[in-house]
Amino acid sequence: MILQKKTADQILIIFILTVLLVILGLISVLIGSADIGVKDLYAFFKGSGEDFARNILLTIRLPRILAAVIMGGALAVSGFLLQVFFGNPIAGPYVLGVSSSAKLFVALAMVFLLKNGRVFSSFGMIVAAFIGSLISMGIVLIMAGKVRNMSLLVVCGVMIGYICSAITDFVVCFAEDSNIVNLHNWSLGSFSGTTMEHVQISLIFVLACIFLSFMLSKPIGAYQLGEAYARNMGVNIKALRVILILSSSLLSATVTAFAGPISFVGIAVPHIMRGLFKTAKPLIMIPACFLGGAIITLICDDIARTAFAPTELSISSVTAVGLAPVVILLLLRRGER
Amino acid sequence: MDKVLKVYKLDVGYQKTVVADITLEVMPGEIVALIGPNGAGKSTILNTITRQLEKLSGKIYIKEKEDKLVNGEELSTVMSMVTTQRIKPQLMSAREVVATGRYPYTGRLGILSKNDWEKVDEAIALVDAKEVAENDFSKLSDGQRQRIMLARAICQEPEIMILDEPTSFLDIQFKVDILSIIKRMAKRENIAVVLSIHDLEFVEALADKVIAINDGRVVAVGRPKEIITGEIIEDIYHMQKGCGKTLIDGLRGYSDALYKLINR
Repeated sequence: MILQKKTADQILIIFILTVLLVILGLISVLIGSADIGVKDLYAFFKGSGEDFARNILLTIRLPRILAAVIMGGALAVSGFLLQVFFGNPIAGPYVLGVSSSAKLFVALAMVFLLKNGRVFSSFGMIVAAFIGSLISMGIVLIMAGKVRNMSLLVVCGVMIGYICSAITDFVVCFAEDSNIVNLHNWSLGSFSGTTMEHVQISLIFVLACIFLSFMLSKPIGAYQLGEAYARNMGVNIKALRVILILSSSLLSATVTAFAGPISFVGIAVPHIMRGLFKTAKPLIMIPACFLGGAIITLICDDIARTAFAPTELSISSVTAVGLAPVVILLLLRRGER
Repeated sequence: MDKVLKVYKLDVGYQKTVVADITLEVMPGEIVALIGPNGAGKSTILNTITRQLEKLSGKIYIKEKEDKLVNGEELSTVMSMVTTQRIKPQLMSAREVVATGRYPYTGRLGILSKNDWEKVDEAIALVDAKEVAENDFSKLSDGQRQRIMLARAICQEPEIMILDEPTSFLDIQFKVDILSIIKRMAKRENIAVVLSIHDLEFVEALADKVIAINDGRVVAVGRPKEIITGEIIEDIYHMQKGCGKTLIDGLRGYSDALYKLINR
């Protein structure tokens, strides 16, 4: 009986978060340097209205907001999957260096292609980021075989992140092409300049990964009790581990390809959601993390673009201020035991 | 009656053989105890039967069917287990941990039906853990945890249960409790149990069959009275001549008392 009430509460919270996300989305559309009011928005949805407002909404505001929602959600789910994989809440694509290595590979590929006068397709960016993610993931996994301590592994991951960021800086600095000027903003993490095409392609990848993970909720839940018990239940451990790594890497790679590395969403949001929903079950956590990641990233992006307008902050600066303390608390609480 | 588990000329180990040439037959409702010193390979044998480890050679039959013909999902409805490995579930109540035992019977997303929850509560009642069912699993004592893990293995509705040292780290009262639950369950539900155990004083009261292991081989198989003897105990635990008998004589009186407790 008690459990049924718990489930009912969880569904209610999911519903509330969904409503909150929609409201936040609408508010985010209305704020910004160009003056767009409720009337313009209404006209836009009816298919009429001034060209100026339509243009701003279609090419700037909407893609950016949708990107923040989709990619914020993707990062949080990616973090959750990594935490399941390691059996430890101290894991995420940013703190393990996965995002930074994805960034490095996108930067290298971009510079190389531009030098040869070719344009980099959205799909190509995701592929480059995915390769980068898998390489650093491979290094992290090798290290995980040697060190059992997760905090130590995170320190190593942060170091990998620094190395990758430093090399990216070199690459960006020495590349002279004017197109690469944009790279500088992107390499710090930003949703500015996101196009509808980016939104569409990232939506496809993110939905596919999240749907796959959600459908694997049952074996993932069994895996949370430890490998031995999961195997006793008939779970194919090897296949599940590969899927966890591939889908979490693909999720964070998709984000990094378009928005650069975004700090701490992947590690902190699952932690906040576990506290909110009082569970770690994937069936609840996967949708919960998506919603939570979307809401938090959207708020952070609103702050990044409006707080000191017209100057824009990088999204990572905002998420770091908001979420790094959560990570510190998480580490401290685990250290106490 | 058909044998529920049969092991024939089984060699187990990692790269190297740890225990060789194990042959064993287990009937429904039978309790088989593995005894032997630390490191003798009791867990290695159990882990091989539960497929945590690949067998090196030999054959395992599950309900008269060769084990390579039984896939993981099928096996999960026949065999459940409790290992020595501690689980660290996050934010799960004891009842939710027990509920994970229903895995083989739930649908694609693993949502439990009303019937499943009834089985969960039955298993919790069987191990006398109703009062802690809603508590956070990670805050339970070792003894309570062990009961919950046992309830989890019970509600998996197995025909064979594999238990690796179910009584280690428990005080005498919890040992008696856990073992009497195991005995009750085996006899009442006709579940075959294979377990490893260090507490020799309990073996006679608990087991129908005993396997003594040491130095990479099965030293003896038989009824408890035949195996728990001075000679065999001296042999497997490398004791001085005479010590085994003294020990067993000492245990005998104690065993009778425990028999009453466990079979109450």
